[in-house]
Amino acid sequence: MSAGPTASADLAALLAQRCGGSASGGAGDLTVDVPADRWVQALTVARDDLGLNFFDWLSAVDDVDAGLSVVCHLATVRPEPAGAGGRLVGHLLVRTVVSQRSPALATATSVFAGASWHERETWEMFGIDFTGHPNLVPLLLPDGFVGQPLRKGFQLQARVQRPWPGDKTSAAGQVPR
Amino acid sequence: MRPPRSRGVIALLEENCTSCMLCARECPDWCIFIESHTEPVTAVAGSVAPAGRRERTRNQLDRFAIDFSLCMYCGICVEVCPFDALFWAPDSDYAAFDLRDLTHERERLGGWLATVPPPPPADAAAAEPREVAAARSRNTRGGLGR
Amino acid sequence: MSTADLPTPTTRAPSGVPAAPAGPSADPIQVWVDLDRRYHLSVFSLGLACCAVEFVALSAGGQVSAGRGPDEGGAVAEVLVVAGTVTDKMAPLVRRVYEGLAQPRYVISFGACSDSGGPYWDSYCVTKGVDRLVPVDVYVPGCPPRPDALLHGIGMLRDKIAASGAV
Repeated sequence: MSAGPTASADLAALLAQRCGGSASGGAGDLTVDVPADRWVQALTVARDDLGLNFFDWLSAVDDVDAGLSVVCHLATVRPEPAGAGGRLVGHLLVRTVVSQRSPALATATSVFAGASWHERETWEMFGIDFTGHPNLVPLLLPDGFVGQPLRKGFQLQARVQRPWPGDKTSAAGQVPR
Repeated sequence: MRPPRSRGVIALLEENCTSCMLCARECPDWCIFIESHTEPVTAVAGSVAPAGRRERTRNQLDRFAIDFSLCMYCGICVEVCPFDALFWAPDSDYAAFDLRDLTHERERLGGWLATVPPPPPADAAAAEPREVAAARSRNTRGGLGR
Repeated sequence: MSTADLPTPTTRAPSGVPAAPAGPSADPIQVWVDLDRRYHLSVFSLGLACCAVEFVALSAGGQVSAGRGPDEGGAVAEVLVVAGTVTDKMAPLVRRVYEGLAQPRYVISFGACSDSGGPYWDSYCVTKGVDRLVPVDVYVPGCPPRPDALLHGIGMLRDKIAASGAV
Protein backbone atom coordinates (compact mmCIF):
# COMPACT_ATOMS: atom_id res chain seq x y z
CA MET A 1 0.00 0.00 0.00
CA SER A 2 1.29 3.47 -0.71
CA ALA A 3 2.51 5.68 2.10
CA GLY A 4 -0.23 7.39 4.08
CA PRO A 5 -0.26 11.17 4.26
CA THR A 6 1.01 11.24 7.80
CA ALA A 7 4.05 9.15 6.96
CA SER A 8 4.84 11.34 3.96
CA ALA A 9 4.55 14.52 5.95
CA ASP A 10 6.85 13.09 8.61
CA LEU A 11 9.44 12.15 6.03
CA ALA A 12 9.20 15.56 4.41
CA ALA A 13 9.69 17.15 7.83
CA LEU A 14 12.76 14.97 8.34
CA LEU A 15 14.20 16.14 5.04
CA ALA A 16 13.53 19.73 5.96
CA GLN A 17 15.21 19.26 9.32
CA ARG A 18 18.35 17.72 7.83
CA CYS A 19 18.71 20.58 5.36
CA GLY A 20 17.89 23.45 7.63
CA GLY A 21 14.52 24.12 6.07
CA SER A 22 10.83 23.70 6.76
CA ALA A 23 8.01 21.53 5.47
CA SER A 24 4.45 22.54 4.68
CA GLY A 25 1.34 21.29 2.97
CA GLY A 26 -0.64 18.11 3.32
CA ALA A 27 -1.21 15.04 1.21
CA GLY A 28 -0.87 15.92 -2.45
CA ASP A 29 0.98 19.21 -2.07
CA LEU A 30 3.87 18.52 0.26
CA THR A 31 6.48 21.25 -0.04
CA VAL A 32 9.89 21.49 1.56
CA ASP A 33 11.57 24.91 1.64
CA VAL A 34 15.35 24.85 2.05
CA PRO A 35 18.00 27.56 2.06
CA ALA A 36 19.76 28.04 -1.26
CA ASP A 37 23.12 26.78 -0.04
CA ARG A 38 21.58 23.40 0.91
CA TRP A 39 19.80 22.95 -2.44
CA VAL A 40 21.92 20.12 -3.80
CA GLN A 41 21.99 18.40 -0.43
CA ALA A 42 18.19 18.53 -0.21
CA LEU A 43 17.78 17.02 -3.68
CA THR A 44 20.31 14.30 -2.87
CA VAL A 45 18.59 13.35 0.39
CA ALA A 46 15.22 13.36 -1.38
CA ARG A 47 16.52 11.04 -4.05
CA ASP A 48 18.54 8.66 -1.90
CA ASP A 49 16.72 8.52 1.40
CA LEU A 50 13.12 9.36 0.49
CA GLY A 51 13.07 7.31 -2.70
CA LEU A 52 12.14 10.27 -4.93
CA ASN A 53 14.02 8.96 -7.92
CA PHE A 54 11.95 10.61 -10.68
CA PHE A 55 12.76 14.19 -11.61
CA ASP A 56 9.60 15.76 -13.01
CA TRP A 57 10.37 19.44 -13.57
CA LEU A 58 12.28 22.44 -12.30
CA SER A 59 11.23 26.02 -12.74
CA ALA A 60 11.06 29.38 -10.98
CA VAL A 61 8.53 31.88 -9.71
CA ASP A 62 9.13 35.61 -9.67
CA ASP A 63 7.90 36.69 -6.25
CA VAL A 64 9.17 40.26 -6.80
CA ASP A 65 10.09 41.55 -3.36
CA ALA A 66 10.27 38.07 -1.84
CA GLY A 67 12.95 37.03 -4.33
CA LEU A 68 12.94 34.33 -6.97
CA SER A 69 11.69 30.91 -5.88
CA VAL A 70 13.22 27.92 -7.62
CA VAL A 71 10.88 24.94 -7.43
CA CYS A 72 11.62 21.32 -8.23
CA HIS A 73 8.99 18.58 -8.41
CA LEU A 74 10.17 15.08 -7.58
CA ALA A 75 8.26 11.81 -7.48
CA THR A 76 8.90 8.18 -6.89
CA VAL A 77 8.43 5.50 -9.51
CA ARG A 78 10.00 2.75 -7.50
CA PRO A 79 7.40 0.09 -6.68
CA GLU A 80 6.56 -0.07 -3.02
CA PRO A 81 8.12 -3.23 -1.55
CA ALA A 82 5.58 -5.38 0.24
CA GLY A 83 5.35 -4.61 3.92
CA ALA A 84 7.52 -1.51 3.63
CA GLY A 85 5.25 0.23 6.07
CA GLY A 86 5.06 3.62 4.33
CA ARG A 87 8.76 4.14 3.78
CA LEU A 88 8.47 6.16 0.57
CA VAL A 89 7.10 9.60 -0.20
CA GLY A 90 4.84 9.75 -3.30
CA HIS A 91 5.92 13.13 -4.63
CA LEU A 92 7.35 16.32 -3.28
CA LEU A 93 7.95 19.96 -4.14
CA VAL A 94 11.39 21.14 -3.10
CA ARG A 95 11.74 24.89 -3.09
CA THR A 96 14.35 27.52 -2.37
CA VAL A 97 14.67 31.27 -2.76
CA VAL A 98 17.39 33.27 -4.49
CA SER A 99 17.82 37.02 -4.49
CA GLN A 100 16.47 39.21 -7.26
CA ARG A 101 19.63 41.23 -7.67
CA SER A 102 22.09 38.41 -8.35
CA PRO A 103 20.13 35.18 -8.71
CA ALA A 104 22.37 32.13 -8.65
CA LEU A 105 21.92 28.55 -7.55
CA ALA A 106 23.98 25.38 -7.74
CA THR A 107 23.01 23.13 -10.61
CA ALA A 108 20.84 20.08 -9.93
CA THR A 109 22.38 18.14 -12.81
CA SER A 110 24.80 16.40 -10.50
CA VAL A 111 21.80 14.83 -8.75
CA PHE A 112 19.39 14.51 -11.69
CA ALA A 113 20.87 14.69 -15.19
CA GLY A 114 17.42 15.41 -16.57
CA ALA A 115 17.42 18.81 -14.90
CA SER A 116 19.74 20.07 -17.61
CA TRP A 117 17.14 21.44 -20.03
CA HIS A 118 14.86 22.61 -17.25
CA GLU A 119 17.68 24.71 -15.84
CA ARG A 120 18.48 26.07 -19.29
CA GLU A 121 14.88 27.19 -19.70
CA THR A 122 14.73 28.65 -16.19
CA TRP A 123 17.99 30.49 -16.84
CA GLU A 124 16.83 32.06 -20.08
CA MET A 125 13.36 32.91 -18.79
CA PHE A 126 14.29 34.23 -15.33
CA GLY A 127 17.99 34.93 -15.49
CA ILE A 128 18.97 32.54 -12.69
CA ASP A 129 22.57 31.41 -13.08
CA PHE A 130 22.93 27.69 -12.36
CA THR A 131 26.57 27.37 -11.32
CA GLY A 132 28.22 24.21 -12.54
CA HIS A 133 25.73 23.60 -15.35
CA PRO A 134 27.54 21.89 -18.23
CA ASN A 135 25.82 23.77 -21.07
CA LEU A 136 23.93 26.89 -20.02
CA VAL A 137 22.85 28.19 -23.42
CA PRO A 138 19.43 29.30 -24.71
CA LEU A 139 16.94 26.49 -25.24
CA LEU A 140 13.70 28.02 -26.52
CA LEU A 141 14.44 31.67 -27.19
CA PRO A 142 15.90 32.73 -30.54
CA ASP A 143 19.42 34.12 -30.92
CA GLY A 144 19.66 37.76 -30.06
CA PHE A 145 16.67 37.80 -27.73
CA VAL A 146 17.03 40.49 -25.09
CA GLY A 147 15.47 40.17 -21.65
CA GLN A 148 14.06 37.56 -19.32
CA PRO A 149 10.47 37.03 -20.48
CA LEU A 150 8.97 35.38 -17.39
CA ARG A 151 10.16 38.03 -14.96
CA LYS A 152 7.31 40.20 -13.77
CA GLY A 153 9.11 43.32 -14.94
CA PHE A 154 9.32 42.12 -18.55
CA GLN A 155 7.02 44.08 -20.80
CA LEU A 156 5.14 42.41 -23.64
CA GLN A 157 5.93 44.75 -26.50
CA ALA A 158 3.04 43.50 -28.60
CA ARG A 159 0.48 44.61 -26.04
CA VAL A 160 2.15 47.97 -25.66
CA GLN A 161 2.36 48.77 -29.35
CA ARG A 162 -1.05 47.59 -30.45
CA PRO A 163 -4.04 49.64 -29.32
CA TRP A 164 -6.67 47.68 -27.50
CA PRO A 165 -9.90 47.57 -29.53
CA GLY A 166 -11.91 47.60 -26.33
CA ASP A 167 -10.31 50.84 -25.23
CA LYS A 168 -12.80 53.13 -26.88
CA THR A 169 -15.31 54.27 -24.37
CA SER A 170 -18.77 53.03 -25.07
CA ALA A 171 -20.52 55.27 -27.48
CA ALA A 172 -22.78 56.57 -24.75
CA GLY A 173 -20.11 58.99 -23.68
CA GLN A 174 -19.43 60.50 -27.08
CA VAL A 175 -20.64 63.71 -28.60
CA PRO A 176 -23.34 63.17 -31.24
CA ARG A 177 -22.18 63.84 -34.77
CA MET B 1 -24.17 18.34 -42.73
CA ARG B 2 -22.28 19.96 -39.91
CA PRO B 3 -22.83 18.97 -36.29
CA PRO B 4 -25.00 21.32 -34.22
CA ARG B 5 -23.22 24.31 -32.66
CA SER B 6 -20.40 24.03 -35.20
CA ARG B 7 -18.09 27.00 -34.93
CA GLY B 8 -17.40 28.03 -38.49
CA VAL B 9 -17.88 31.78 -38.58
CA ILE B 10 -19.57 34.46 -36.46
CA ALA B 11 -22.69 36.25 -37.67
CA LEU B 12 -23.82 39.70 -36.51
CA LEU B 13 -27.46 40.62 -35.97
CA GLU B 14 -26.90 44.33 -36.24
CA GLU B 15 -30.27 45.50 -34.96
CA ASN B 16 -29.57 43.82 -31.63
CA CYS B 17 -26.15 45.42 -31.20
CA THR B 18 -26.03 48.41 -28.86
CA SER B 19 -22.24 48.88 -29.20
CA CYS B 20 -21.78 48.11 -25.54
CA MET B 21 -18.24 46.96 -26.46
CA LEU B 22 -18.39 43.90 -24.22
CA CYS B 23 -17.36 41.51 -27.01
CA ALA B 24 -14.44 43.71 -28.04
CA ARG B 25 -13.31 44.01 -24.45
CA GLU B 26 -13.56 40.31 -23.67
CA CYS B 27 -12.00 39.00 -26.87
CA PRO B 28 -8.65 37.44 -25.86
CA ASP B 29 -7.17 38.07 -29.30
CA TRP B 30 -8.26 41.71 -29.60
CA CYS B 31 -9.79 40.92 -32.96
CA ILE B 32 -13.18 42.69 -32.74
CA PHE B 33 -13.25 46.32 -33.86
CA ILE B 34 -16.25 48.47 -32.98
CA GLU B 35 -16.83 52.11 -33.70
CA SER B 36 -19.98 53.95 -32.88
CA HIS B 37 -21.39 57.32 -32.04
CA THR B 38 -24.41 58.60 -30.18
CA GLU B 39 -27.38 60.20 -31.79
CA PRO B 40 -30.06 62.25 -30.10
CA VAL B 41 -33.42 60.58 -29.95
CA THR B 42 -36.40 62.73 -30.60
CA ALA B 43 -39.20 61.61 -28.36
CA VAL B 44 -42.88 62.09 -29.18
CA ALA B 45 -43.12 64.76 -31.88
CA GLY B 46 -43.33 68.24 -30.48
CA SER B 47 -42.18 67.36 -26.99
CA VAL B 48 -39.16 68.98 -25.45
CA ALA B 49 -37.01 67.62 -22.69
CA PRO B 50 -37.66 69.45 -19.41
CA ALA B 51 -35.07 72.07 -18.61
CA GLY B 52 -31.90 70.74 -17.05
CA ARG B 53 -32.47 67.19 -18.21
CA ARG B 54 -29.93 65.42 -20.44
CA GLU B 55 -31.03 64.81 -24.02
CA ARG B 56 -31.98 61.24 -24.84
CA THR B 57 -29.43 59.48 -27.00
CA ARG B 58 -29.02 56.15 -28.65
CA ASN B 59 -25.94 54.36 -29.92
CA GLN B 60 -25.43 54.12 -33.65
CA LEU B 61 -23.05 51.46 -34.84
CA ASP B 62 -20.52 52.73 -37.40
CA ARG B 63 -18.15 49.84 -37.69
CA PHE B 64 -18.26 46.25 -36.49
CA ALA B 65 -15.46 44.04 -37.79
CA ILE B 66 -13.98 40.71 -36.78
CA ASP B 67 -10.50 39.78 -37.92
CA PHE B 68 -10.73 36.04 -38.51
CA SER B 69 -6.98 35.74 -39.10
CA LEU B 70 -6.60 36.28 -35.36
CA CYS B 71 -9.83 34.70 -34.12
CA MET B 72 -9.40 31.51 -32.15
CA TYR B 73 -13.10 30.62 -32.18
CA CYS B 74 -13.36 30.52 -28.41
CA GLY B 75 -16.92 31.89 -28.47
CA ILE B 76 -16.44 34.33 -25.60
CA CYS B 77 -17.90 37.15 -27.68
CA VAL B 78 -21.01 35.12 -28.53
CA GLU B 79 -21.47 34.12 -24.91
CA VAL B 80 -20.90 37.54 -23.39
CA CYS B 81 -23.16 39.53 -25.68
CA PRO B 82 -26.09 40.60 -23.48
CA PHE B 83 -28.32 41.28 -26.48
CA ASP B 84 -27.80 38.11 -28.51
CA ALA B 85 -26.33 39.96 -31.44
CA LEU B 86 -23.67 37.37 -32.28
CA PHE B 87 -24.31 33.84 -33.48
CA TRP B 88 -22.26 30.87 -34.55
CA ALA B 89 -22.67 29.76 -38.15
CA PRO B 90 -21.22 26.52 -39.50
CA ASP B 91 -19.67 27.82 -42.73
CA SER B 92 -15.89 27.40 -42.87
CA ASP B 93 -15.08 28.00 -46.55
CA TYR B 94 -13.94 31.61 -46.50
CA ALA B 95 -10.20 31.35 -47.09
CA ALA B 96 -8.64 34.36 -48.81
CA PHE B 97 -5.79 35.25 -51.13
CA ASP B 98 -5.17 38.45 -49.19
CA LEU B 99 -4.92 38.56 -45.40
CA ARG B 100 -7.05 41.70 -45.26
CA ASP B 101 -9.98 39.80 -46.75
CA LEU B 102 -10.10 37.75 -43.57
CA THR B 103 -11.38 40.82 -41.72
CA HIS B 104 -15.12 40.70 -42.16
CA GLU B 105 -16.98 44.02 -41.88
CA ARG B 106 -20.54 44.37 -40.68
CA GLU B 107 -22.15 43.72 -44.06
CA ARG B 108 -20.36 40.44 -44.46
CA LEU B 109 -20.95 39.51 -40.84
CA GLY B 110 -24.64 40.21 -41.36
CA GLY B 111 -24.60 38.02 -44.44
CA TRP B 112 -23.58 35.03 -42.39
CA LEU B 113 -26.91 35.22 -40.57
CA ALA B 114 -28.46 33.33 -43.45
CA THR B 115 -26.44 30.29 -42.51
CA VAL B 116 -27.07 30.39 -38.76
CA PRO B 117 -28.98 27.23 -37.90
CA PRO B 118 -32.14 27.39 -35.80
CA PRO B 119 -31.49 26.83 -32.10
CA PRO B 120 -31.79 23.25 -30.99
CA PRO B 121 -35.17 22.45 -29.46
CA ALA B 122 -35.39 22.62 -25.70
CA ASP B 123 -35.27 19.34 -23.87
CA ALA B 124 -38.73 17.84 -23.41
CA ALA B 125 -38.28 17.72 -19.65
CA ALA B 126 -36.85 21.23 -19.36
CA ALA B 127 -38.64 24.03 -17.49
CA GLU B 128 -40.58 26.46 -19.62
CA PRO B 129 -38.52 29.54 -20.61
CA ARG B 130 -39.45 32.49 -18.43
CA GLU B 131 -40.13 34.80 -21.35
CA VAL B 132 -42.67 32.35 -22.72
CA ALA B 133 -44.45 32.14 -19.38
CA ALA B 134 -44.35 35.93 -18.98
CA ALA B 135 -45.76 36.51 -22.45
CA ARG B 136 -48.57 34.09 -21.85
CA SER B 137 -49.54 35.62 -18.54
CA ARG B 138 -49.38 39.10 -20.08
CA ASN B 139 -51.73 38.05 -22.84
CA THR B 140 -54.26 36.43 -20.57
CA ARG B 141 -54.21 39.26 -18.02
CA GLY B 142 -54.54 41.92 -20.68
CA GLY B 143 -52.05 44.17 -18.90
CA LEU B 144 -49.24 46.35 -20.24
CA GLY B 145 -51.32 48.02 -22.87
CA ARG B 146 -52.57 44.95 -24.64
CA MET C 1 21.27 33.76 -37.95
CA SER C 2 21.18 33.21 -41.70
CA THR C 3 19.72 30.08 -43.17
CA ALA C 4 23.17 29.17 -44.50
CA ASP C 5 24.29 28.45 -40.96
CA LEU C 6 21.74 25.70 -40.48
CA PRO C 7 22.83 22.08 -40.88
CA THR C 8 21.62 20.39 -44.03
CA PRO C 9 18.69 18.14 -43.18
CA THR C 10 19.05 14.50 -44.05
CA THR C 11 16.25 12.31 -45.28
CA ARG C 12 17.93 9.03 -44.37
CA ALA C 13 16.78 7.56 -41.10
CA PRO C 14 19.53 6.15 -38.91
CA SER C 15 19.90 2.41 -39.33
CA GLY C 16 18.02 0.34 -36.81
CA VAL C 17 15.06 2.72 -36.69
CA PRO C 18 11.91 0.71 -37.41
CA ALA C 19 9.78 1.75 -40.36
CA ALA C 20 6.89 4.06 -39.62
CA PRO C 21 3.75 2.13 -38.67
CA ALA C 22 0.90 2.07 -41.14
CA GLY C 23 -1.82 4.52 -40.32
CA PRO C 24 -2.70 8.19 -40.74
CA SER C 25 0.31 10.10 -41.95
CA ALA C 26 1.26 13.47 -43.31
CA ASP C 27 2.04 12.19 -46.80
CA PRO C 28 1.77 14.80 -49.54
CA ILE C 29 -1.64 15.22 -51.11
CA GLN C 30 -1.61 15.12 -54.88
CA VAL C 31 -4.15 17.40 -56.53
CA TRP C 32 -4.67 17.68 -60.27
CA VAL C 33 -4.84 21.21 -61.62
CA ASP C 34 -6.08 20.50 -65.13
CA LEU C 35 -8.63 18.04 -66.47
CA ASP C 36 -6.08 16.47 -68.83
CA ARG C 37 -3.98 15.52 -65.82
CA ARG C 38 -0.82 17.12 -67.11
CA TYR C 39 -0.14 19.30 -64.10
CA HIS C 40 -0.60 18.53 -60.47
CA LEU C 41 0.11 20.02 -57.09
CA SER C 42 2.05 18.14 -54.45
CA VAL C 43 0.69 19.51 -51.21
CA PHE C 44 2.63 18.75 -48.08
CA SER C 45 2.63 20.20 -44.63
CA LEU C 46 5.16 21.81 -42.37
CA GLY C 47 3.40 20.61 -39.26
CA LEU C 48 4.45 22.91 -36.47
CA ALA C 49 1.59 22.57 -33.99
CA CYS C 50 -2.03 21.48 -33.63
CA CYS C 51 -3.04 22.39 -37.19
CA ALA C 52 -0.74 19.60 -38.37
CA VAL C 53 -3.30 17.10 -37.06
CA GLU C 54 -5.99 18.61 -39.28
CA PHE C 55 -3.69 18.25 -42.27
CA VAL C 56 -3.18 14.60 -41.41
CA ALA C 57 -6.94 14.20 -41.11
CA LEU C 58 -7.30 15.45 -44.67
CA SER C 59 -4.33 13.55 -46.04
CA ALA C 60 -5.39 10.25 -44.53
CA GLY C 61 -9.14 10.80 -44.47
CA GLY C 62 -9.76 9.58 -47.97
CA GLN C 63 -11.71 12.66 -49.03
CA VAL C 64 -9.13 13.96 -51.49
CA SER C 65 -10.07 12.71 -54.92
CA ALA C 66 -6.90 12.85 -56.93
CA GLY C 67 -4.31 10.16 -56.87
CA ARG C 68 -1.30 9.98 -59.10
CA GLY C 69 -0.23 6.74 -60.67
CA PRO C 70 3.41 5.77 -60.70
CA ASP C 71 3.74 5.98 -64.49
CA GLU C 72 2.01 9.30 -65.01
CA GLY C 73 4.30 12.11 -65.98
CA GLY C 74 3.53 15.79 -66.08
CA ALA C 75 4.44 18.97 -64.35
CA VAL C 76 4.29 19.29 -60.60
CA ALA C 77 4.24 22.31 -58.36
CA GLU C 78 5.04 21.99 -54.71
CA VAL C 79 2.67 23.54 -52.20
CA LEU C 80 3.90 24.08 -48.68
CA VAL C 81 1.14 24.19 -46.07
CA VAL C 82 2.42 25.93 -42.97
CA ALA C 83 0.31 24.34 -40.26
CA GLY C 84 0.94 25.66 -36.80
CA THR C 85 2.57 28.36 -34.74
CA VAL C 86 5.79 29.79 -36.14
CA THR C 87 8.06 30.58 -33.20
CA ASP C 88 10.95 32.99 -33.67
CA LYS C 89 13.32 30.11 -32.99
CA MET C 90 11.73 28.06 -35.76
CA ALA C 91 11.52 30.95 -38.24
CA PRO C 92 14.89 30.41 -39.97
CA LEU C 93 14.04 26.76 -40.55
CA VAL C 94 10.68 27.62 -42.07
CA ARG C 95 12.47 29.97 -44.44
CA ARG C 96 15.01 27.24 -45.12
CA VAL C 97 12.28 24.72 -46.05
CA TYR C 98 10.69 27.25 -48.43
CA GLU C 99 14.00 28.02 -50.10
CA GLY C 100 14.52 24.30 -50.63
CA LEU C 101 11.37 23.95 -52.72
CA ALA C 102 11.72 23.73 -56.47
CA GLN C 103 9.96 26.31 -58.60
CA PRO C 104 7.04 26.81 -59.08
CA ARG C 105 6.24 26.80 -55.43
CA TYR C 106 3.26 28.00 -53.44
CA VAL C 107 2.51 28.50 -49.77
CA ILE C 108 -0.78 28.03 -47.95
CA SER C 109 -0.97 29.52 -44.48
CA PHE C 110 -3.15 27.14 -42.48
CA GLY C 111 -4.70 28.28 -39.24
CA ALA C 112 -4.72 31.45 -37.18
CA CYS C 113 -1.16 31.09 -35.87
CA SER C 114 0.48 31.02 -39.26
CA ASP C 115 -1.98 33.61 -40.64
CA SER C 116 -1.19 36.30 -38.09
CA GLY C 117 0.18 34.80 -34.91
CA GLY C 118 -3.35 33.88 -33.90
CA PRO C 119 -4.00 33.50 -30.16
CA TYR C 120 -0.27 33.92 -29.56
CA TRP C 121 -0.03 37.25 -31.35
CA ASP C 122 1.15 38.93 -28.16
CA SER C 123 3.85 36.39 -27.29
CA TYR C 124 7.46 37.41 -26.92
CA CYS C 125 8.68 34.64 -29.19
CA VAL C 126 6.03 34.05 -31.87
CA THR C 127 6.31 35.30 -35.44
CA LYS C 128 3.09 37.15 -36.18
CA GLY C 129 2.24 35.32 -39.35
CA VAL C 130 4.35 33.19 -41.66
CA ASP C 131 3.93 35.86 -44.35
CA ARG C 132 6.68 37.73 -42.51
CA LEU C 133 9.03 34.99 -43.71
CA VAL C 134 7.68 33.68 -47.00
CA PRO C 135 5.14 34.89 -49.58
CA VAL C 136 1.74 33.35 -48.91
CA ASP C 137 -0.75 32.49 -51.65
CA VAL C 138 -3.78 31.41 -49.63
CA TYR C 139 -4.72 32.14 -46.02
CA VAL C 140 -7.03 29.61 -44.39
CA PRO C 141 -8.67 30.91 -41.19
CA GLY C 142 -9.53 28.67 -38.28
CA CYS C 143 -8.25 27.48 -34.95
CA PRO C 144 -7.80 24.86 -36.14
CA PRO C 145 -9.51 24.99 -39.53
CA ARG C 146 -11.50 21.93 -40.48
CA PRO C 147 -9.84 19.53 -42.93
CA ASP C 148 -12.44 20.54 -45.51
CA ALA C 149 -11.45 24.16 -45.04
CA LEU C 150 -7.95 23.14 -46.11
CA LEU C 151 -9.44 21.31 -49.07
CA HIS C 152 -11.32 24.49 -49.98
CA GLY C 153 -8.11 26.50 -49.70
CA ILE C 154 -6.24 24.04 -51.92
CA GLY C 155 -9.10 24.26 -54.38
CA MET C 156 -8.84 28.06 -54.42
CA LEU C 157 -5.14 27.81 -55.18
CA ARG C 158 -5.72 25.23 -57.87
CA ASP C 159 -8.38 27.36 -59.57
CA LYS C 160 -6.11 30.39 -59.44
CA ILE C 161 -3.27 28.45 -61.03
CA ALA C 162 -5.56 26.98 -63.65
CA ALA C 163 -6.93 30.43 -64.48
CA SER C 164 -3.49 32.01 -64.66
CA GLY C 165 -2.60 30.09 -67.81
CA ALA C 166 0.46 28.49 -66.26
CA VAL C 167 -0.90 25.05 -67.18
